[in-house]
Amino acid sequence: MTPDRLCEVLSKYAESQGIQLNKDKGYVLEIMEGLLKNESRYGYRSCPCRLATGIKEKDSDIICPCIYRDPDIKEYGSCYCRLYVSKEWNEEKIKHVRVPERRFEQSEKNS
Amino acid sequence: MREQKKKVRLYSLSTCPTCKGVKKFLDEHNITYELTEVDLLDSGEQWLTSKEVKKYNPAATYPTLVIEEVILGLDEEAIKNALGIQ
Repeated sequence: MTPDRLCEVLSKYAESQGIQLNKDKGYVLEIMEGLLKNESRYGYRSCPCRLATGIKEKDSDIICPCIYRDPDIKEYGSCYCRLYVSKEWNEEKIKHVRVPERRFEQSEKNS
Repeated sequence: MREQKKKVRLYSLSTCPTCKGVKKFLDEHNITYELTEVDLLDSGEQWLTSKEVKKYNPAATYPTLVIEEVILGLDEEAIKNALGIQ
């Protein structure tokens, strides 16, 4: 799988979910490279913007699309790493903000 | 070349585009910095470094950029400047 091909597939997948990929193609391709790198070193496509443990059970919440994607898009218009976004976010009708990490409370309890 | 007075450290992930953006910014501004690609460390080092990152950023998210200023003696002017106070 190449980053370009993965981008095409995920773009169609996003459409089917009523959302979009970030319109910044260069940024999206960097995310694709990160996802593919994680797939080759961990065996699954964990979020490239988060530190994975390499243990699938522990990383299950951050395997892309992460379980935080939908609430993040609902609240901020984009997911944590800005791969998946709403139409309004891409059209710059809503402000682009840094999405806070929802894993925080959970990871604090586990550390 | 002017001397860089502040110590700059970047905790980053090799796969993260935002981290790359910060590196690019620092490079473009000729800033000398210490870079730690946390995902490339072995598990023991990764654990230790994550603890270090949490001191500055309890959520341990990446990129975390730390800019430190070293002040010698009682230099009130320098302390005020570093803290952004009058």
